[in-house]
Amino acid sequence: MPHLNTKEDLEIMGKQLLLDREKINKTIIMCGGTGCTASRSRDVIDALNKELVIQEMDNEVHVRVTGCHGFCEQGPIAVIEPGNIFYCHINPEDAHDIVTKTVKNGEIIERLLYTDPVSGEKVCKESEIPFYKAQDRKLLFQNREVNPQSIEDYIAIGGFTALAKALDTLAPEEIIREIKISGLRGRGGGGFPTWRKWMECHEAPVDEKYVICNADEGDPGAYMDRCVLEGNPYLVIEGMLIGAYAIGATRGYIYVRNEYPLAVRHARNAVQQARRYGLLGENILGSSFSFDIDVARGGGAFVCGESTALMASLEGKVGEPRPKDVHTVVDGLWHKPTTLNNVETWANVPSIILKGASWFNSKGTRGSKGTKILALTGRIKNTGLVEVAMGTTIRHIVYDIGGGATNGKAIKAVQTGGPSGGCLSVDKFDLPVDFDVLYEAGSMVGSGGMVVMDESSCMVDVAKYFLTFLQDESCGKCVPCRLGIDRMLEIVTDITEGRGTLEQLELLEDLADTVTQTALCGLGKTAANPVLSTLRYFREEYEAHIIDNKCPAGVCKALIEYYIDPEKCTGCGTCKQACIHNAITGEKKEVHVINTDLCQKCGICRSECKFEAIQVS
Amino acid sequence: MLYYVNININGADIKAPKGSSVLEVAIEYGICIPHLCHVPGLSDIGACRLCIVENITNGRATITTSCTLKVQEGMIIRTNTDRIKRLRHNIAELLVAEAPNSRAIQDIAVRCGVKEVRYPFRNGDCVLCGRCVRACSEIWHANALGFIGRGKERHVERPLNMREEYCKGCDYCLQLCPMTVPPCDGPMKPGEEYLCGKCESQLMITEDIPESCVWCRLGEGFNCGRYAGLKTVR
Repeated sequence: MPHLNTKEDLEIMGKQLLLDREKINKTIIMCGGTGCTASRSRDVIDALNKELVIQEMDNEVHVRVTGCHGFCEQGPIAVIEPGNIFYCHINPEDAHDIVTKTVKNGEIIERLLYTDPVSGEKVCKESEIPFYKAQDRKLLFQNREVNPQSIEDYIAIGGFTALAKALDTLAPEEIIREIKISGLRGRGGGGFPTWRKWMECHEAPVDEKYVICNADEGDPGAYMDRCVLEGNPYLVIEGMLIGAYAIGATRGYIYVRNEYPLAVRHARNAVQQARRYGLLGENILGSSFSFDIDVARGGGAFVCGESTALMASLEGKVGEPRPKDVHTVVDGLWHKPTTLNNVETWANVPSIILKGASWFNSKGTRGSKGTKILALTGRIKNTGLVEVAMGTTIRHIVYDIGGGATNGKAIKAVQTGGPSGGCLSVDKFDLPVDFDVLYEAGSMVGSGGMVVMDESSCMVDVAKYFLTFLQDESCGKCVPCRLGIDRMLEIVTDITEGRGTLEQLELLEDLADTVTQTALCGLGKTAANPVLSTLRYFREEYEAHIIDNKCPAGVCKALIEYYIDPEKCTGCGTCKQACIHNAITGEKKEVHVINTDLCQKCGICRSECKFEAIQVS
Repeated sequence: MLYYVNININGADIKAPKGSSVLEVAIEYGICIPHLCHVPGLSDIGACRLCIVENITNGRATITTSCTLKVQEGMIIRTNTDRIKRLRHNIAELLVAEAPNSRAIQDIAVRCGVKEVRYPFRNGDCVLCGRCVRACSEIWHANALGFIGRGKERHVERPLNMREEYCKGCDYCLQLCPMTVPPCDGPMKPGEEYLCGKCESQLMITEDIPESCVWCRLGEGFNCGRYAGLKTVR
């Protein structure tokens, strides 16, 4: 393995690798991300490789195992180049057909094609799938080009040229100015201008500085950081290298949560490979710049995603936030100036340096530039990771990319930004994904979680879910967060169980405001957002719980009752058999009845009934 | 040699020693900021959030704890605005609902204007102010006490729940604990969530909360920094 001593070494190697790559003209791009691995993509990869050996095609066809493509619900997925043929839900048994039919003869296997849930038609090409077509994939697209375990793959597609450019032609101040013009803002949730962090850290008159990549992603349902770090760790490393050069740091850390074993493995492997090539270490690419990265594993606390808690954890202390009256860019890790950025922020840096700030800021709104990866989940047809330009409306994401509601139910709300964000009602769907606009609306872009809810979700229950999550994850250091969340949960639980009063609703608002204003860290300051935003947009649901003792969505068990609609019941007896509490009685072919004393409101009968005879009141 | 910076607290121009916190300066000058987790001589962690103040920069007020805020030249601080009073009241209310039988917490709550408590009482015996933990590790370096668990599970415990020999028996933790002040036998029961405030006659003369230190007896209860400072002078 050659040690890259100069910029030219890198260029020559890149060209050579690209030539080697072009010699093999057939590629099966197989997703090996966490989602697809869970649906047995490793077995498919093994089967494909075996099949290629049997067919004696292993020299002309390359199986590239990549990181996540974003369409995890269709996994395992594969794209076959040339032809851009997209197959989904592949089984190991399909390997023979894929190799003999598609790879050898270019035939398309009908049963493996993707069916668009909106139109019901089969789609052959990856680029024609509406889910992908409606996106603007700048970061995610790179995932399918690179095997995350092979730095050669990354160098072949022009990796580390941004670093070479920065080291060769740009002064640290010029890099920071470029980032400033680009308008890049922190992707981890806060949306703080990245250049300002870098500038303050750069200006701090201390020799020893640190950069940290925050990959301690913990929002329920959000996994874009995992996808980027796991799918293309070199991009993150390159971003960190450029950032470290700009601020004058000598050491960096990737703090990745231990629940992401694949990301940990890929990041470690990438760091080792980069060291071997001399891209990390002393005098990188012949310059005077020296820098190294360590990968640290998080201990499993949500609060460790907060910058000061993360630094405390890195120092080996308990992962608890500390007051930030002095910013971490001045007094951070081991009391040295430290720049901490999110995975996605770092991953955006190389292209800004390489293609220029104007390329980056041509997309987006006035205050928010570039693209953002969102984790789209909930009651919609297409779920997965989507990357859109900032300023795209929520409506476009939910309906054009997500394909709209499943089961024909009306979409009611979208929850953005995880536990720190809020719920937006459907009349706010024309709002763009923009840090400032969503903040104004009482939610936030946050790390990019986006959960779509329909009529069957009770918003009070949603608030309760997030409060329960936050109560578990609060570190417990400061009073407003520890006791405030606890009391908010107490009140919301009262409301969902029919004990709520209107005075409590006022108290809830007052308390939520207190927590927002006085909590110690960012987690606490945003902890009341789920409550505040649901109160703002769905107050009538709270009031329905309190005044009418009804849960309009039929979720809160204490406030609902199941009954059988005599008009619709055919007396088939399915519900009677399904009920584990023996609460349903009735003779065959006669209307059945639910005994409400015995009924535990589990909902099994409702899901079993084919005639929609079981209703909730 | 001491260096001084000029700051303004509640309209008063004050020369403050560089490196001190806003809370220390305020206490020194007799400006009352209620506090619980701050103990003179121990590090400040900003856990109780009672000592919040408004720090006004460029006309914008940000709320922060005065114990962790170091004085800086030209700083403008407001300790007793309506907003601060309301927030402080709400925090004290949360605390007293958690430990209504503690005399010290009652005192703080009364001082912050809490009369009725809107939450059911819980009768906890620790509010996790962390005074004992810091005293143990910072004064004696004994590290016989520490926090264990997070969120609702957080509690003070010996190392690994077993290493009693770390304790040097200095009793300082007991002296500092707001729970060890003998409780009053007032109506601190579930269902009767209000504070009588009878024992604090000095404060109850006026309905308003005083801005400056009136040497109220409340301070004795929760070891107000001013009393503690006085003790060390003696």
